[in-house]
Amino acid sequence: MIESSTLRVTSSFLALLLLATCRSTAAQEIDFNRDVRPILSDRCFRCHGPDRDAREADLRLDQREGLFSDRDGSLAVKPGSPDESDLYERISSEDPDTIMPPIETKKPLSKKEIETLRRWIEQGAKWSQHWAFVRPTKQKLPESGREWATNEIDRFVHDRIVKAGLAPSKRADALTLVRRLHLDLIGLPPTPEVADAWAQRLAPDGQFQIAVWEQLVDELLKSKEYGPRWARRWLDLARYADTNGYEKDRDRSIWPYRDYVIRAINEDMPFDRFAIEQLAGDMLPNATQRQRIATGFHRNTMLNEEGGIDPLEFRFHAMTDRVSTTGTTWLGLTLGCVQCHTHKYDPISQREYYQLMAFLNNADEPYLEIPTDAQKQQRKNNLARAAELQNKLKQAWPADKAAFNDEFEAWWKANRANNRWTVLEASTLKSNLPHLAKQPDGSIFASGDSAKHDTYRISYSNVPRQITAIRLEALPDERLPARGPGMTYYEGTIGDFFLGELKIKADSVERKIADASQSYAKNRYANERNPVSAKLAIDGDLQTGWSVHERQGERHSAVFILAEPIENAKQLEIQLDFGRHFGSALGRFRIAATDADKPPVARDQPFEVEQILDRGDDSLSPENRKRLELAFLMQAKQTKPQAAAIRKLLKRPAVRTTLVMSERPDENRRPTHIHHRGEYLQPKDRVEPGVLDFMHDYEEKAERNRLGFARWLVSKENPLTARVTVNRHWAAFFGRGIVTTQDDLGLQGQPPTHPKLLDWLAVDFMQQGWSLKTLHKTIVMSSTYRQSSRVTEQGLAKDPSNTWWGRAPRFRLEAEVIRDSVLFSSGRLSLKAFGPPVRPPQPAGVTESAYGRPKWNASRGEDRFRRSVYTFAKRTAPFAMFNTFDAPTGESCTARRNQSNTALQALTLLNDVMFVEIAQHLGDAAFVYSDRDAKRAEFIFRRILTRPPSKSERSRLIAFVELQRERIEDGSLDGTKVASTGQANAKERATWTLLARALFALDENITRN
Amino acid sequence: MTQRNVQATANLMARRQFLDQCRLGVGRAALAGLLGGSLPGAARESRAEGKASRILAPKKPHFTGKAKAVIHLFMAGAPSQLELFDYKPMLAKLEGKSLPPSIIGDQRYAFIRSDAAVLGPRFKFTRHGESAAEVSDAAPHFSKIVDDVCLVRSVTTDQFNHAPAQIMLNTGFSQPGRPSLGSWVIYGLGSETENLPAYVVMSSGGGLSGGAALWSSGFLPTVYTGVPFRSSGPPILNVTSPKGVGKQAQDDTYDLVNGLNRQRLADVGDPEIATRIASFEMAARLQTSAPELMDLSNESKETIELYGCKPEKPSFARTCLLARRMVQRGVRFVNIYHQGWDAHSDVKGNVKRNCKTTDQASAALVQDLKRLGMLDETLVVWGGEFGRTPMVETNPALGRARGRDHHPQAFSMWMAGGGFKGGLQHGQTDEFGFHIVDGKVHVYDLQATLLHSLGFDHERLTFRYAGRDFRLTDVHGEVRSELLS
Repeated sequence: MIESSTLRVTSSFLALLLLATCRSTAAQEIDFNRDVRPILSDRCFRCHGPDRDAREADLRLDQREGLFSDRDGSLAVKPGSPDESDLYERISSEDPDTIMPPIETKKPLSKKEIETLRRWIEQGAKWSQHWAFVRPTKQKLPESGREWATNEIDRFVHDRIVKAGLAPSKRADALTLVRRLHLDLIGLPPTPEVADAWAQRLAPDGQFQIAVWEQLVDELLKSKEYGPRWARRWLDLARYADTNGYEKDRDRSIWPYRDYVIRAINEDMPFDRFAIEQLAGDMLPNATQRQRIATGFHRNTMLNEEGGIDPLEFRFHAMTDRVSTTGTTWLGLTLGCVQCHTHKYDPISQREYYQLMAFLNNADEPYLEIPTDAQKQQRKNNLARAAELQNKLKQAWPADKAAFNDEFEAWWKANRANNRWTVLEASTLKSNLPHLAKQPDGSIFASGDSAKHDTYRISYSNVPRQITAIRLEALPDERLPARGPGMTYYEGTIGDFFLGELKIKADSVERKIADASQSYAKNRYANERNPVSAKLAIDGDLQTGWSVHERQGERHSAVFILAEPIENAKQLEIQLDFGRHFGSALGRFRIAATDADKPPVARDQPFEVEQILDRGDDSLSPENRKRLELAFLMQAKQTKPQAAAIRKLLKRPAVRTTLVMSERPDENRRPTHIHHRGEYLQPKDRVEPGVLDFMHDYEEKAERNRLGFARWLVSKENPLTARVTVNRHWAAFFGRGIVTTQDDLGLQGQPPTHPKLLDWLAVDFMQQGWSLKTLHKTIVMSSTYRQSSRVTEQGLAKDPSNTWWGRAPRFRLEAEVIRDSVLFSSGRLSLKAFGPPVRPPQPAGVTESAYGRPKWNASRGEDRFRRSVYTFAKRTAPFAMFNTFDAPTGESCTARRNQSNTALQALTLLNDVMFVEIAQHLGDAAFVYSDRDAKRAEFIFRRILTRPPSKSERSRLIAFVELQRERIEDGSLDGTKVASTGQANAKERATWTLLARALFALDENITRN
Repeated sequence: MTQRNVQATANLMARRQFLDQCRLGVGRAALAGLLGGSLPGAARESRAEGKASRILAPKKPHFTGKAKAVIHLFMAGAPSQLELFDYKPMLAKLEGKSLPPSIIGDQRYAFIRSDAAVLGPRFKFTRHGESAAEVSDAAPHFSKIVDDVCLVRSVTTDQFNHAPAQIMLNTGFSQPGRPSLGSWVIYGLGSETENLPAYVVMSSGGGLSGGAALWSSGFLPTVYTGVPFRSSGPPILNVTSPKGVGKQAQDDTYDLVNGLNRQRLADVGDPEIATRIASFEMAARLQTSAPELMDLSNESKETIELYGCKPEKPSFARTCLLARRMVQRGVRFVNIYHQGWDAHSDVKGNVKRNCKTTDQASAALVQDLKRLGMLDETLVVWGGEFGRTPMVETNPALGRARGRDHHPQAFSMWMAGGGFKGGLQHGQTDEFGFHIVDGKVHVYDLQATLLHSLGFDHERLTFRYAGRDFRLTDVHGEVRSELLS
């Protein structure tokens, strides 16, 4: 650190103060957690700690057993007797061969540290577990503060306030409280009318009515706007965004997950269930669509679509992100440290890190289609309409009947062939990575991971007597990206494939393929100059081949003609090579053979039509004729417009999708390995799923899978999850957690300022059925919460950082709350809930430095003014206002946001187009509200700040308004440009717009008071 | 921290609070001010309010560094070192043949296969200057500054894709989320200006692979984030007043906001309000200083011609001149991104095109700083995120020919000023330009050396986050003092 700790933010500073306080009162007693464990951890655990691979002499000092157990008559630590303790003997040794830590570690113990350890042993070597690793219990309430207290919180808080030589602050005034509660619970201020009504009832004669307060609390907890407010905080942890991240940062559709979170929070879904659904909703018995959507939590990892990346490398990065996000979110542990090496402080080995990963690592990552009812109906209608039009298609034929018959016959005979295709039944399926499985229709389905270059080898032992050609059908499947037929899920056309080479071997001898054709082919990249075709898949060059860009979700086929027929072969092998600069294997396909004399050609026809044509019949049954006539009409130039209309109706419309997890089948479990130094390219031992040894046990009967893991996480035995959660929620109301390091409750984290309060809240949270609303209610009902935030001289002197909560905290509101509040004040906020993300206006050029320089086309109508949780979140070019006000970018799990205070924020509040537009709206409303300056000014002031202006404030407002009028008169201010357009009295409305704009920028407006 | 230190800090706190109370007669010290080492922000004391948030106050590094400011010309997309700095006649001889597999090892490639044929250099190389540096004819202006430049032909990185490699070069980690070099530098040195952002980002080419992660402050406080300047229109987002609002009306608004905020400060007593007021004062100054900065009318014709820019037209050259003006005005760290070097096809045309845009201005920046006497304290860094393969990239399905793929093993960068040795050519690659055979400078080493030139021990410039002290170079990095004078 430079200049000691001068740059650290408040939390560390606080910790210093705490430490200072603790230590000065600690006197002589050695405290294991405070004094001894840090020494052991830093000097001993590397070789005598959690990492069994690195452990020396089979001695483990990070656990009680290792320290105190008898090892062939010797003890590491014998309480009371330093001289009979091996540990002390070794650390105090002067023999360079036996001294610990070994000389070569260059981490000798200081005399003072040796002395500390000696005294600890002497004093009886009391050992205790790290506070956060012990299950919390409700402890006895302190005696103090009975009168002041509304509930248990206050008793714990009061106790510390008094011990700090302070008294609680008086209750904040009713208007402030009503505003505070609104902002905290629903993220919006009250209207002045609502605020006045509650304020009057709350303190009708100066006497505070707690029952009325409770009514208000209950009402706000029930509000539909509670969900959007609290979902946003959860989405920080979930690293939610609407794009894939990295270079290309293409849009993704995962907003149904965001809506899931909002709904769950509004319904007060118990937090344990909320966790289980998000981690393993797909594995619950009879999982609902909603539970599957919930698994989007861990699909919020980024996806690198840059050309040429190794997809498996970035999947590995996503997995490490999932482990560390799980650690931060539910355990408050910095698991990220353990990716590369065993944790230096917390008892977590690198092996355990990968064992945790193994729980999460056995899922595929499909899209889930979730068509709306309207979309389903539309599809049904379209198909019905298409059938109707197909029935009438023949009537659309323009000329006489005879011409139709001639042309049809000619087409039929030209396409008719005598090919009997036999679908081959594979005997063995091999691939480099994708999991190949036979389907009932003789096709093969590929699932699981794919690499940049995939090879399939399909063998057949039951080979037809003669083969002259092979047909490869590429088939759609709803399990594939964009329904396939390919597996491409990044960078290229989603659902496409690229067949680089196809080879045919008979009895181990490669057979020459003379020619090939395909039903359809298109390249994504400059198709005209760089064609693709089945022929290019037999040219010996892996870089050229066949793909079907733009026609995903359809069946395609290619036919490969052998130069010489294969006859009487015992064994046949077909090798398919896929890949370009991204993974692009086939996801579902079927292989058939024919012995036709005349070389067949692939046709762009439905399967049934091909079957009729391949029969080579001389005459047609009426039914088959009808089918073929339709096929003919669908491609005839005479009925082109009608056929196009039908094709359009038949085309599967884009439906809503979301990203989910889907557990893999047992026969295709994904192995998890320890990675040396955390590097993707260095996989070592394979590991099986397992939990952290130092924590509670995994239930014997539970399966070792994602679902079992999720249940283990939210077990009431877990000492961490409830504490982490209540701490985070406490911080939401108080600007700072009881443990200030909200992402770390481990040994390196700060100790809690109020340990008993934290434990009480954690236990109560579980006892109340993991109800967040109950937790919130408990917090906001407290007297602690209802204090004034006024900073007194005494308070500032004795507790400058408000460690003991002797006053209500003031802190800057979050970006989204600021925007939503300002919109609400102006009357502009749309409360339309759910659905795809929207783009509010923002200055041009925000997205210009992102890849591809994407445009930001602002939404129209009310979508400009939706709640901020619905704003489109682009990772590489975040919404400017949010970014300026410290919102995270969705690139990693964020347990605690910065709260900065910058000039760019000032510029945003005053000059951002969005704020100007909002100010215009409020200016207009004020103009309409009254024709008196004082009334208009108060109207704006109260809409923004809730409370009425003081006398001196009032005169400042009026002076400002009058000055602006003068400016407009003398021409230095162009009122017509400032005011919203299209309405009369532009100059006057401009004046009020400017006042609204200024008041939006006030510290009071963007601060929770 | 030892117990004594803790106690001392606590005492210091108390003493400062006491002093503050006496001096200001109000008794409300700003915590932020105390932490920053000075005493702003008490009520009704405009003197204290005048100072911008002290978190950005200038600070002393670990030792006196030569460089006080950095201009990083980030050649995004990765220029071909084989066409610019690292002449390999052997490749011309081998053209059309594959390299021995033993050379290539298990390197993964983005587009090509490892058996792709070799492509010879596309330009002639000539020796220039007293240092007789052998550089390409493709960059005629660069050849004029070789004696002021420390050319490193042996930089290496771990990443072979753009976004991860760019993020790696700037943040020391391949995934987004860590603080960028610029952020670390501002964190360590603070700002010399209260009128402009300390860390500015400009971009002249297409959009960037690495995106906003390239100038992110990561887990450092948000104030250390780079501030993007836009290539056209008002430079900083929202730095111009809304339409129709002239200077006077805008000043009225600042007066009203600050007046009401001061009143609030008096009522509530929270020192944070003073910081808020200071931020508005800085905003007002930015509104004046940003247009002044962008106005090139007082630059001489000679200067404009040296850079080869048109004063009103956005270009790489203009960003270089602006960067010099920024450094003159106290901006500490400037990133200029030029995207466009990703020569998967027609590497010759690519280098020609990009040199046309960047060569003159890059050289002009060094020359200009030198003649103004600023080069000693200003470090100019030029380079991309990795190099390009000695092997050719050809791909009919993508319409590519005579290109080069990504090459992380060896690439070239140059530094000028800020204590780097002028006229030095450091490092050597093998005859294929594939591997480094001498003087390897890993990206971590480069970062350590850059920090060293600014006065930092890269192992001590740390920030505690998530239970651990983080630094730019993670657990790596060695200062390459042979590059420094």
